Amino acid sequence: MNTFLSEKNRAVRRSVRAFCEREIMPIAGEIDREARFPWEVIEMMGKLGYFGIQVPKKLGGSGMDSLSCVITIEEISRACGSLGLCVTVHNSVAVYPIMAFGSETQKKRWIPPLARGEKIGAFCLTEPNAGSDAAGVEATAIRNKKGYLVNANKVFVTNGGVADICLIFARTDPDAGRRGISVVVAERGTPGFVVGDLEDLCGMRANPVTSIRLYDCKIPAENLLGEEGTGFQIGIMALDTGRIGIAAQAVGIAQAALEESARYANQRQQFGVSIGKHQSIQAMLADMATELEAARLMVYRAALLRDQGKHFSRASAMAKLYASEAASRITDMAVQIHGGYGYSKSYPVERYYRDARVTRIYEGTSEIHQMVIAREVLKDYAK
Amino acid sequence: MALHIIVCIKSVVTKAPENGIIRSAETAEMNLFDRPALESAIALVEREGGTVTALSMGPKSCAFVLHEAIAMGADRGVLLSDPRLGDSDTLATSKALGAAIKKLEPYDIVLFGTRTYDSDTGQVGPQTAVSLDIPLVTGVSSLNYEKPLLRVERKVDGFREEYNLSLPAALTVHPASVKPRDIPLSGIEEAFEKKKIETWTLNDLSLDPKLVGKKGSPTEVLSMKKMTRERKCEFLEGTLEEQAEVLIERIKETGLIT
Repeated sequence: MNTFLSEKNRAVRRSVRAFCEREIMPIAGEIDREARFPWEVIEMMGKLGYFGIQVPKKLGGSGMDSLSCVITIEEISRACGSLGLCVTVHNSVAVYPIMAFGSETQKKRWIPPLARGEKIGAFCLTEPNAGSDAAGVEATAIRNKKGYLVNANKVFVTNGGVADICLIFARTDPDAGRRGISVVVAERGTPGFVVGDLEDLCGMRANPVTSIRLYDCKIPAENLLGEEGTGFQIGIMALDTGRIGIAAQAVGIAQAALEESARYANQRQQFGVSIGKHQSIQAMLADMATELEAARLMVYRAALLRDQGKHFSRASAMAKLYASEAASRITDMAVQIHGGYGYSKSYPVERYYRDARVTRIYEGTSEIHQMVIAREVLKDYAK
Repeated sequence: MALHIIVCIKSVVTKAPENGIIRSAETAEMNLFDRPALESAIALVEREGGTVTALSMGPKSCAFVLHEAIAMGADRGVLLSDPRLGDSDTLATSKALGAAIKKLEPYDIVLFGTRTYDSDTGQVGPQTAVSLDIPLVTGVSSLNYEKPLLRVERKVDGFREEYNLSLPAALTVHPASVKPRDIPLSGIEEAFEKKKIETWTLNDLSLDPKLVGKKGSPTEVLSMKKMTRERKCEFLEGTLEEQAEVLIERIKETGLIT
């Protein structure tokens, strides 16, 4: 299995898994029930470098490759989807765009505390009227002498309740369509920066997903990321990377569901034998394991392409589409194998089922991914 | 002079082999009982200064345990790897490790886990100490360097024993004595990408090849299979008092109480 993983990759898996099994797994059910963000664990994760996985060492990060990064996210998600979400969003769509588009001064200012997990990052694109149609952003950043006057209503912000450094997508030119969007970095505590109530979500409940609103927020000009009008491009590039992370998260959740189901199928007796002896349960386990492995290979391939500096956008879209859909099917079968107990909060599979569901929605819905992939396929064969 | 601590670590097989014992990164991992020894060494060097050398014996595919030791905080990794060392039992292994440790001189402390979780003989630490002719304390729960002596504590059979040891000395470290640190990602990156593991063969040691491998081993492992434990579930009947009586009888039968 996964023979192309290096010994370093395997060491990453072993060490992250050992940490997650000891510190996260025992509390995953509780923090889901209580919708609590476990700062005590986050602090430990920060010290182990999970918040700056690909950040160079000189800026306080771990300096690792994409493959090690997705393995880390996969293992955290195997223990707890909500924390996997926190880590992938922080690394891929908050830290990475600053690394890729930020000036040296911006990187020195924002990256070290983010990489150490002392500050949490968030990506604020979605608005009530701009979801899949990302170019429909209505937030505004009006340039004046001192900087920008920003008004924004951002919803479903992952890490919103705890984020210190937020990438805000706002319109600097109201008439320029997608070329009128820019990214400004808003820091918590800036006057006019308001964190909304915690969203009461179906899954990912230990992640403080909130809205973030900026009311006449004065953001200094030096907080502009990249150039004016490049926001859409920054968003697309961040999401290309982010999608590999979300796909890894789906793989981690599905892995947990498969393990729990196989254990249960060995142990649960019906008709005088363990249910794993029944062909219908075997068929489900076989499909779960096969789909999971296919998803994992797609995710690793996308990460490897990124590490090799090759075009990975299509591979990442395919990995995200397939892994999220597979995770939904796998966790659904996990509930089915557990029967009534699978529908009960006494067993973890109902949490996996709820957590997996959203991977088909955020960072681009499955339907948007189908559209993107189809467009590329059609282009390949156009005359 | 700064301390030089050598920690002997083993890669243990995690999967019962089908055709012979094959150690690779897929089927092996660092012996869990060696982690507290490594932690004790790294912590002592952090307090007192010095260096930690991790030493292992096995096929080249086991170098990863040394990378992992470096990721955790060791300074240097040495792998003793030679086909002639294959099939060494604990005595032959101890002789080979002893010869490698001599080559690492000068050293102050040699640490071992109390045992391995794939064979559980607990012999290699004590035998290596004998081969080096240095003092040994087993199952140590704490160690402090009080120049020029090492003060160690050992809890056993309801007693707490304290020892002063002159150096160099060998210790086996009790698995519950310290909590091994988690390995940071940056440590893994550094260890695997930047640090080289030194590989030694028998040619690098002053050791007669006849003393190791199959020839040098008075014992031989004939087979290794995964064991499945039979579990029985029994329901006791009667009133609570009657059930308690039967339960006591059952426990007595096992010899746990008299």
